[in-house]
Parts: sequence; C-alpha cells; structure tokens
Amino acid sequence: MSPTKATTAKAKTKAVTAKGKAAAARTRKPSRPAAVVKRAVAAKTKPKAAKPAVPLKQQLAMNDKLFKDTGHMFGLTKMKRKQADPGTYEAAWHILLNVCNTGWVVGCKVSSSPAAVEGGDAVWVLHLPTGEAVCTSRGIISHPGLLSQLIRSYIENDYEVNPGFRPGDIFENNDPHYGGLHSPDFQTTIPIFYRGELIGWASSVSHVMDAGMVLPGSIGFLNPDCFSDGVPITMERVGENDAHYPWYDRLMRSRTRQPEWVIGDARGRLAGCLTIRDRVIKMIEKCGVDFFKDVTREFIEDSRRYAVSRIKTQTVPGRIRKSNFKDLAMRGKRVIKPEQDVDIIFNEPMEIVISGSGKTRFSMRGASGWVPFGENITPKALISAMMNGFSHMVGFDMFNWGSAAAWELETPPPGSWGNPFPVNYFASSGVAWAPAVLWLGSLYESLGRLYWARGFIEEVAAGPGTTMCGEFAGVNQYGLYSVGMTLEQASNGVPARGMGDGENSAWSIYTPIADFGNAEVNELFYPIMYLGRNAWPDSGGYGKFRGGLGHTAVWLVKGTPGIEYMCACAGLRSKILSNHGMFGAYPKFPDRGGYASKTNVKELIDGQQPLVHAIGDPEHPDLVKNIKAEIMLPNEIAPFVSKALLHEYDVIVNPITGAEALGDPIERSPALVKGDLDNAWTRPRVAESIYGVVATYSEATREWTVDEAATDAKRAAIRAARKERGVPFKQWWQEERKKVLNKEQMAPPVLDMWRSSMQLSPDYGKELKQFWNLPDDFAF
Amino acid sequence: MPTYDISEIEKLVDGKLPWSQVQEIMKEAKDTDRFDKWVEILQGRVAWKERILLPLGPNLFIVQKERERIVKCRCGHEFCDYRVNWKLESLIYVRETAEQLAEVYRGMEQPDPDWIHVREYYCPGCGSQLEVEAVPRGCPPDFDFLPDLDTFYAEWLGRPLPEKKDYTDKTLEVIRDWSRTT
Repeated sequence: MSPTKATTAKAKTKAVTAKGKAAAARTRKPSRPAAVVKRAVAAKTKPKAAKPAVPLKQQLAMNDKLFKDTGHMFGLTKMKRKQADPGTYEAAWHILLNVCNTGWVVGCKVSSSPAAVEGGDAVWVLHLPTGEAVCTSRGIISHPGLLSQLIRSYIENDYEVNPGFRPGDIFENNDPHYGGLHSPDFQTTIPIFYRGELIGWASSVSHVMDAGMVLPGSIGFLNPDCFSDGVPITMERVGENDAHYPWYDRLMRSRTRQPEWVIGDARGRLAGCLTIRDRVIKMIEKCGVDFFKDVTREFIEDSRRYAVSRIKTQTVPGRIRKSNFKDLAMRGKRVIKPEQDVDIIFNEPMEIVISGSGKTRFSMRGASGWVPFGENITPKALISAMMNGFSHMVGFDMFNWGSAAAWELETPPPGSWGNPFPVNYFASSGVAWAPAVLWLGSLYESLGRLYWARGFIEEVAAGPGTTMCGEFAGVNQYGLYSVGMTLEQASNGVPARGMGDGENSAWSIYTPIADFGNAEVNELFYPIMYLGRNAWPDSGGYGKFRGGLGHTAVWLVKGTPGIEYMCACAGLRSKILSNHGMFGAYPKFPDRGGYASKTNVKELIDGQQPLVHAIGDPEHPDLVKNIKAEIMLPNEIAPFVSKALLHEYDVIVNPITGAEALGDPIERSPALVKGDLDNAWTRPRVAESIYGVVATYSEATREWTVDEAATDAKRAAIRAARKERGVPFKQWWQEERKKVLNKEQMAPPVLDMWRSSMQLSPDYGKELKQFWNLPDDFAF
Repeated sequence: MPTYDISEIEKLVDGKLPWSQVQEIMKEAKDTDRFDKWVEILQGRVAWKERILLPLGPNLFIVQKERERIVKCRCGHEFCDYRVNWKLESLIYVRETAEQLAEVYRGMEQPDPDWIHVREYYCPGCGSQLEVEAVPRGCPPDFDFLPDLDTFYAEWLGRPLPEKKDYTDKTLEVIRDWSRTT
C-alpha cells in the first residue's frame, strides 16, 4: 500500500477538525503577533489542501511567456520595490540570506553524517511557489538550480492536483529522472503557506554517506545502471505535519548501510527547512505578504540583470572553444557487470558564444556517448552545475535562479553522457557530477581568457583541481558496520590568477566553503589514523603563476577487522591530463591512489623507524621506500576499489590535487621559485628543468639561493631549444594527418570516443574531418 | 562605480599590489575604464607601434596593421589574420612518448602517451611557450577565442573600429589551401 494512501484518511480527519481554526486564520490581519499567526498558518496547523489564486501550472506558463515576451523574469521591466525603497529592499535580501544560512547551521547541526556535520556538505534554499530559487545558504551551491527544477517538476507532473500541496507536507527526491543529481543527494522540499496561500518553498540537499547503492558508499562510479543506484525516492511525499512517515525510517533502515546517519541527515534537512519556513513567515508578518511576493521576484530579476551586465562589463563578445577529456580506465579491475571491463575516455568539449546583447550560450556539441558506469548526468543537473560555475566566475550579488536566465545551455547530444535518457533511460547517475565537473572546469579557463582580454586579471582563473575521494566500508573501531568518506577532496588549491599564484588547499569547485574537516574528527568517524596531511609539491601545474597546491592524506588503518578502501571518482583524471595549459603552462599531473597491505608498519613503529607522511619522489615513492608489504600498490590508476579488505597497520596514500597554472613557466619570477623551494612546494629538478631557475641549497641557512646569471642563461637555452625542436605547424599537420588517417598510436578508448562523438554530433564530426582533410566516408 | 589610477592598475598587473587591496578590487563593482588603461599599459611595453585592439594572452595581441587585423607576439613576430587560429602559424612540439613526457612528468605523475599527447605551441620569433594542449590524437587544436571585435568596439565600447570585418572563423579556409597543395 502506498504510504501516501495509508495516511490519507487520518489527514482528512485532521483537516476537518482544523477547519474552524484555519478559517479563522484566513481572516486574521497581518498585524497580529507572529507567534499566533505561525500557529494558525504554518505546518503546526492541521493539514488542509490549499491552492493559490492561480494554479501553479498556469503561473509557470505565464512566467515563461512573460520572460519570452519581455526578456525580463516575470515581465519585470521595472523594479518597483527596489526603486521605491532600495534600503528596505537590500535589508530584505540580507534577512533572507541570514534565514537560509541559519537553516544551514541548524540543519548541519541536526544532521548525523560527517559530510554534513563536519564538512557542511549540504545546502538550504528558499524558492518561489513555481520553484525559482530566491535565496541560498552557503554550502554545496551546485544544487539550487536542481532544486528549482525539481519543484517545477512537481508542478509539471500535476502534483498540485494529486497528491496536492498542504501545510506540513514533506516531499523528497533523489531520482535523476526528475531533478536529482545522483541518489546519495537527497532533496527535501516543504511548501510554505501563509494564510492558506502557497507563497514559497524551502528546500535542502545533503549528501548521505550511503544510499543503498549496489556497492557501499556514496560515490557510485561503479554502478552499471539506474537499478544499482540505490534506494529511489521519486518525488514522493515522505511526511506530513512536519514529520516523516514511519515507513521512511523503516525504508532507510532496511535499504541503506548507514541508516543512523541517513535518517539523521533527513532530520537535519527537515530542521533547516522548518527553520527557513518559520522565519520567512515571521518576516512576512513584519513586512507584509505583498512586499514579500514583490521583492522575492525582483531579487531573481535583479540577479539576471546583474549576470548580464557583468558579462558585458567584463568579457568580450565572440566564440570560445575548449576541448577537454576525462578517462575512466576500468579494464582488468574489480567491476560489477562484464560490460564494465572496459577503458573509456569521455569527450567533454565546451563552446561558449556571447552575443552583442550579452546573452551567453553554452554547448557541449561533440560530447561522447553514455557509459555503463555511474558517470552520466542529465541536462537539468548540468544547468545547475553551470549556475555553480557562473556564480564563481561571473560573480553574483544575489545568488539565485536569475543567473540561469542570463544564459542558455544547448540541449546536449541525446545519448551522450550529458543527456543519456533519450537513448538509455536506465543509465546510471551514481556519481553524475564526475564528468560534469570536469566539463564545468573549462568554464573557468574560458571566461578567464575573456577577463584577461578586458584587463580584469584579478578575476582570471586558470582551471580547477580534480576530485578524487577516499571512502571506507567495513567494521569500524566501535565494532559497528560503517561506510563513508572524509572530505579531503573539498580542499583543492585555488586556480592561478592573472597576477599571482593560487592559495594552497583553499578552494573547491563544488562548494565555496572549502573545508576538508578536522583530521581528529575523521579519526573518530572511521577506523583510520592520519599519518600525514601535507602540501603536495608541484601539484598546481607549472606556469608563470601556479595553481594552489593540493595535499596528500596518508592514513593508517587502525582498529578494524577489515575495511574496503574505495579510491573513488567524483571527477578525476588518472591516465590523462586536463587540457588546461593556459597561456603556456603545463597542466597539473594525473590523480593516482596507492596502498600497502599486510605491512611491517607495526615493527617500524615499535622500532621508531620512518613511516610514510607524503608521496615523496614520484619515481621512488615513500610507500615503497619505507614500508615492506605483501601487497604493494603505490601507483594505482584511479578509480578503484581495494582488491581485498585492508587491515590493522595497512597504509593508504590518497592525494588531492591542486588547481591549474597559467603562463610560460620560464617567465615565473625566480623569487617565487625560491620561495617554493624553501617551502618544499617545488622540487629542485622542476625548478631547474621546467622553470629554468638555477639555485643552490645551503645546509647552514636552510635556504635556497638563486644564481641570476645562470638562470638567465638557462632560460635563454630553453627558448633556443624550443625553437630548435619545434616544427612549423603546417609541416606537423601534414605528418599528423597521416597518423590520424592510419589511427596510429590511438588506444581503443580514444577511437571509441571519436566514433561516438562524431556519430552523436555529425556537425562536430564534419568539422573534425575537414580539419584533418579526411575523406567523407572516414570513420575511426 | 570605482575607478583606479593607471599606476594602481600597473601595480596590479605586476603583482605589486598588496593582496588586501586586490581583494578590495575584486569585491567592488568593476571599473568601466579598465580596458583602456590595460591596453595603454600593454601598448607602452611593446617595441612596435601597431595599435593593440585586444590582448589575447601575456604574449599575443590582436593589432591593427594598416587595414588588417592580425595576431602579433610581444616580441614582434606576426602570425595571421585574427580570424584564423594563430596556432597554424606557430612552431609545435608534441610529447607523445614516455621519454618525451618524462622531461615534464615523471614516475607516477606521468600520463599514458597512448591516451594523451602534450602539444606545445611556441612563438617562432622568441621561443615563448604560448599555449600547451593535452589532447588525444585526432583532436584539432582549440581555436581558443574568436572575438566579435566589431560588436565589442561598436556596441560595448561605443566607438566602432574604422573598417568592419566579417565575424567568421577562417581557419578551415587555410586548411583547404593546405589540402590542395598536399
């Protein structure tokens, strides 16, 4: 029996008994004390279906038409509230911002999982009745766009009629078919009623540590299809009267591996949403509902105008193209289905066209096909990801749905990894963000080029780092089954700017609060002990300005009879590099994980011998140098799952990359190279052979000294060597064309990728063939 | 709307502005005359006289050369019409073997040369490394940015350029010429 049906009779009874009170509430004046009105109109009242004056579906159609006809959200050619009283307008924004951030604080504190509690890996949002995000808390801001579209999906699917929206209802979703990103990101939405009228929604997303996927954990890169994506909640009413239905608790207990955390996080999301709802109602009591309705719409139009004006102020109209690729090398590894014994490269091209009006159009024409892994994403989720990137790179005064109206995303090729469902409705989105975030990474460099052209070099960002997660599953130090991850990956370096290096371990593309949590707290959650959390030398690429460095986490397995380690892909490259050699920099190196099992670490500790605290020399890593082990895997192509359980005194090396660099490395200031040498952030070989800086180390002063004359000579020699080995492009093109024609040194996944891209995007394929002067009937 | 003295912008360009000041600039609304000051600074740092129409990067500029608009390096080397990908006129070196890659990426930092190649584009005049691409074989070079210069100057800056050019990608025209002679 459907849980919704099971509770209908009870709800009806309550609605009848509440009739008198609700009617009384509708006649009350706005000046009545907030607490009284709250009791009458908020969810504490008995549920009663309530409809707005104009059905939401009709409102949606009107909104769309007004935007199409006027170019302004809601047809707001004038911002009457802002113009009439800009101070109050601004104050109202900051009140709502504080309301959402209070929701975040309350929600994270009520939550249970380390991701939400320790890492703040969640977000809370206030929406219009038709779904458009008005205001957003701090946290994972790649989600407000999806939450907006989820509410729109309710309306488009006639949820207003059946099951209806009532005060106290709780709706939830994690299904990518209807506005979810991937199953571990549970989306909670509650309607906000005022005097019987639906005046908005509060929503939240948090990333639970286990969604009941086919394998433990929340980064489901190995999921072969959507049936393996875990417990599905498909736009369901999961509670009423501000409480979850009993089945919700039971479902999570029987279908997820870490139910206490999952249920705790659900309560956290709800607590944050209730906080927003109740405070919004208090605000309306003070400012009036008409003011609230007006300003919330104006905030969205304001945001759209801001985004358009920033584009016109900071960029240059024209066309930008950025190729990028992602690998997923799974052949010969532990997989779930036979068809997953395969190596894959994703083609992730980005084209941006900015018109004279400032309208920006994004395309991923040429994207390769869907994959039999959890690395497919929907166009709706891509729009939300773009909102995240746009907020970073174009900036925002008010972060909400308005910026999404300033640009458009061309529908990704049907059947591609960015739009799989038209061809494979059952494609998995276990970690949909993985390919998308690397595609999104191109936005940073691309807009950076435009900011450079206009002179806003302080806004240039060379390209983000990648996202490799470390997850654990097994019996923990308390004797309980445990699954989850640390948030090491939420602390990449900052991308190089146009006038300086990025900061180390200070930024993450998917959340503005880059916070990898405390090591000591992670040690409480998981059966691990940190041996190291150190800056990773040279992990920010090589350029005039380098990206901020990442770090290496080194974990000692401790207090468990056995755990699995998942070196998981949430957007990494392991066999290839990013295509972020902006202005002549070298891209940062690939992501690799490593571990040693059945080690002699206990003996080393007893004998007070050196352990492992970082990767060390990439050709002779510390793991191999300092430790003996029956299973020694220091340089594993990621992602992977450990081949066997890891035990006491096993060691895991899990590095997190820095961000990308900018400019010719031999133009890097020798003083900056010296600084990096002194900090051990770059290595002597790199300083000399790549940066062309000749320096010597003094044991006495423990400092490096640059030999300026030798540096000048070295750099001149590097320039001369380039001119010597470089060939005219035309000559190279002639030779390369033959190699392309003969498919020389092209690994099978490369050929598969081109085949798929050219098939899904014939125009893209035609241009590729024209560039290499290939026959019309040529196929890879 | 803030405005900054050109000396302050010059310090920003040279990385000599204190970080706290840079942050203030980042937080503020953008100064509408930045482009003119930026170009003035850059124009003063090159030895040649052609007017800079648009900086493309630290070394490359679109300049007005008589009636043409071409891409030109800081060193003075001239590439081609700005509507053709300038990479077609560069020197290129490709790292496609483990040995070649090892000069930059060693041990566990090295990518797989069967999956990805590293292309380095040099200026034939000064040997500057202008761009680096990491792409699989078969990928045409990115035409990083084709600006709509006339719209930019006429509609966004309010001062049209003297002679309008078609806003179109001419790269494949060059390829077609090469194809005929290959």
